[in-house]
Amino acid sequence: MVQRATSSGTWNELMDESDVPRPVAASLVQQLNELGEHGLVQRQELADLEVKAMGITFTVYDDGRGIDRAWPFDIVPRIIAAAEWRHIERGLAQRLRALNMFIDDLYNEQNVITDGVFPADLLTDSKNFRSECRGIRPKFGVWAHICGSDLVRDGDGTMYVLEDNLRVPSGVSYMLENRLVSKRVFADLFQRQSIEPVDGYVEELYKLLCSLAPDEVTEPNVVVLTPGIYNSAYFEHSFLAQRMGVELVEGRDLTVGDDGRVYVRTIAGLDPVDVIYRRIDDAFLDPEVFRADSTLGVPGLMRAWKAGKVAIANAPGAGVADDKVVYAWVPALIRYYLGEEPQIANVPTYRCLYEDERRIVLANLRDLVVKPANESGGYGLMIGNRATDEELAAAAAAIEADPRNWVAQPILSLSVAPTLCDGVLASRHLDLRPFILSGAGHYVTHGGLTRVALREGSLIVNSSQGGGSKDTWIVQT
Amino acid sequence: MLLSRVAENLYWAGRYLERAEDTARIVLQHTNVLIDMPDSVSLDWNPLLAILGDPEIEHLMMDEAAIVQYLACDQRNPSSIVASVTSARENLRTTREVLPRAAWQAINDLFIQVGGRWAEAVPRSTRTRYLSHVVGESQRIVGILSGTMSRDAAYSMLRLGRNIERADMTTRVLDVRAGSLIGGNGAFDDIQWVGVLQSLSALQMYRRATRSPLDSNSVVRFCLQSREFPRSVAHCLAEVTHCLGILPARAKVIEACETATEQLASLAGGDISGFQLHKLTDELQHAIGDIHSAVAEGYFRVAERVE
Repeated sequence: MVQRATSSGTWNELMDESDVPRPVAASLVQQLNELGEHGLVQRQELADLEVKAMGITFTVYDDGRGIDRAWPFDIVPRIIAAAEWRHIERGLAQRLRALNMFIDDLYNEQNVITDGVFPADLLTDSKNFRSECRGIRPKFGVWAHICGSDLVRDGDGTMYVLEDNLRVPSGVSYMLENRLVSKRVFADLFQRQSIEPVDGYVEELYKLLCSLAPDEVTEPNVVVLTPGIYNSAYFEHSFLAQRMGVELVEGRDLTVGDDGRVYVRTIAGLDPVDVIYRRIDDAFLDPEVFRADSTLGVPGLMRAWKAGKVAIANAPGAGVADDKVVYAWVPALIRYYLGEEPQIANVPTYRCLYEDERRIVLANLRDLVVKPANESGGYGLMIGNRATDEELAAAAAAIEADPRNWVAQPILSLSVAPTLCDGVLASRHLDLRPFILSGAGHYVTHGGLTRVALREGSLIVNSSQGGGSKDTWIVQT
Repeated sequence: MLLSRVAENLYWAGRYLERAEDTARIVLQHTNVLIDMPDSVSLDWNPLLAILGDPEIEHLMMDEAAIVQYLACDQRNPSSIVASVTSARENLRTTREVLPRAAWQAINDLFIQVGGRWAEAVPRSTRTRYLSHVVGESQRIVGILSGTMSRDAAYSMLRLGRNIERADMTTRVLDVRAGSLIGGNGAFDDIQWVGVLQSLSALQMYRRATRSPLDSNSVVRFCLQSREFPRSVAHCLAEVTHCLGILPARAKVIEACETATEQLASLAGGDISGFQLHKLTDELQHAIGDIHSAVAEGYFRVAERVE
């Protein structure tokens, strides 16, 4: 496993090993050739103008000031065959079923611990476990209603889940806007083939949020809760509220009444709120329970939620399943809760706390990424093939000293796709973030947000650090 | 449903946009009168500070360039054109969900233009173009809103802000400019009276409404009491009353609005003295202040209790 992942080449999403277009990409590649690089540059300029005129922005921070920048969009789409996507959809839905059962179990019976599948002390160490949520049973047993999972494709073409974002994942508005721009720029191509539409997402999200309302409510009042204009994802908060036709509120717009319900302050007085799609981290939700210095949250919100007077998506505490340690257990959790084999691959993760896995790690350090398990945000991360002998020795010593604190994964090679850079098509690395909705059932976006590293050889796809984005086409062949 | 916070932002955006337009028009008109006057007549720029500025700053010795700079583009003057447009945009940034997309784009454009070209406001050679642009673009924004926005509570809040600001501005112009002219008979008084009307874009409509030679009493009455002219105080108050009909009823706001309307009607026939005019505009400004406070109390600060 370790060997294969490092020695194989890089997968190109549009072309095969002999530089022949993959069947799903044939029509696109033909069109790109017809346009030529000059024609492509013209279309890119058109797309840049559209992005500007439509006001699609993201926020970067400079000297503590938020600056709106135009959203970086590459016109060459990334293509995935519909048949492969159906498989990925099933895999993601399966994953979310297991993760939600796991979260529900942790806050209630904790059978997964009693049965010896998940170690108790890992839960004790978890920073995202909220003991305030013990004993709560949200509707449908679902805690992570909206999940953004990051997928990468390794050299042999295997799609892996790299991580699951179960707290407040963002990016879906860019997926939708990217499609709008590419429909304007490539209107002709959309006629030639069957590309699955993406805009069903907003309706599915709204349906899901309505379904979470307390049972006695017939016409639920749904709101989107934002930390405010200075948040980097404010564009998306505003976009989603606008598209669903619901109010975008800040913490100071909400208040909890003596009857335990949540109300929004309107010019006509206080109006009851039934469902909150919150885009604020747990820690800021309710100063009575979490961070007392939070001015973004609503005092009493947790009381209202616990009493079942209001639904919150994602549920407070859902983040417990969103860390590097839990990630390593996902295949085991799928087997435990569902009695099924995982349909989409997890990156093999060696848990150094187990002696056999630790031995493999120590013997193969040069071929592995070593990560601290305790979620200290990339600190202490070591990439074996880029490390010096001293760094390797230091990592080995650190693992021996505190095995529980370390996990290791093979070094994946992210797939590439042709990308327009300085007027020329060049291969650039990319990932993919689909969004999974969970309620009474599951919905997976058709594709997702493809992020691309615009610098040659770079693996950093974040828009704040020079990354771009592409439209993602699920094409029926 | 309209959130109190959003309502407040819309109300202030309406006020700031109107303030930017009015300020641009008043400076523009003053510049035009100035160019007309023979050099022997020294035209004072200080009244403009009295109308538009902070009373504290009046006493500073400032020349034309410094005053125009202060009124047009000084960020330290919260009522300058650049500051007003910036505030309008800031208020609307967080209310994009209720605003037509084209209106937001127009406001953003205006913000980029006034901020980027601020240096053009000061030299006489470029000032007229700069200020006319501000007036024209502000009117375009009002036009987009009027043509594309439903007449709901959100629209009423913008309109409420616009008309309260406009009524306030008209009383200020009358107080400062007309107050010093009325009862006098200086050589260029007629030109100055024309200037008062032009500061309010009122000259042509005044002519059509009166069909007689310019007369100071009728100018004052027109600017205060005309039911038809959109910048008269009476018309602004009628607009405010109309908006209140769409918004949830608030007794204090309606009361404050009625008080102002009664004060306006109290102006008797015959010659108006400077003292009378000053007293009335002063009362009106207080009454308009009361309407503002009642709006803030009634719509923006919703009580904690569940109703």
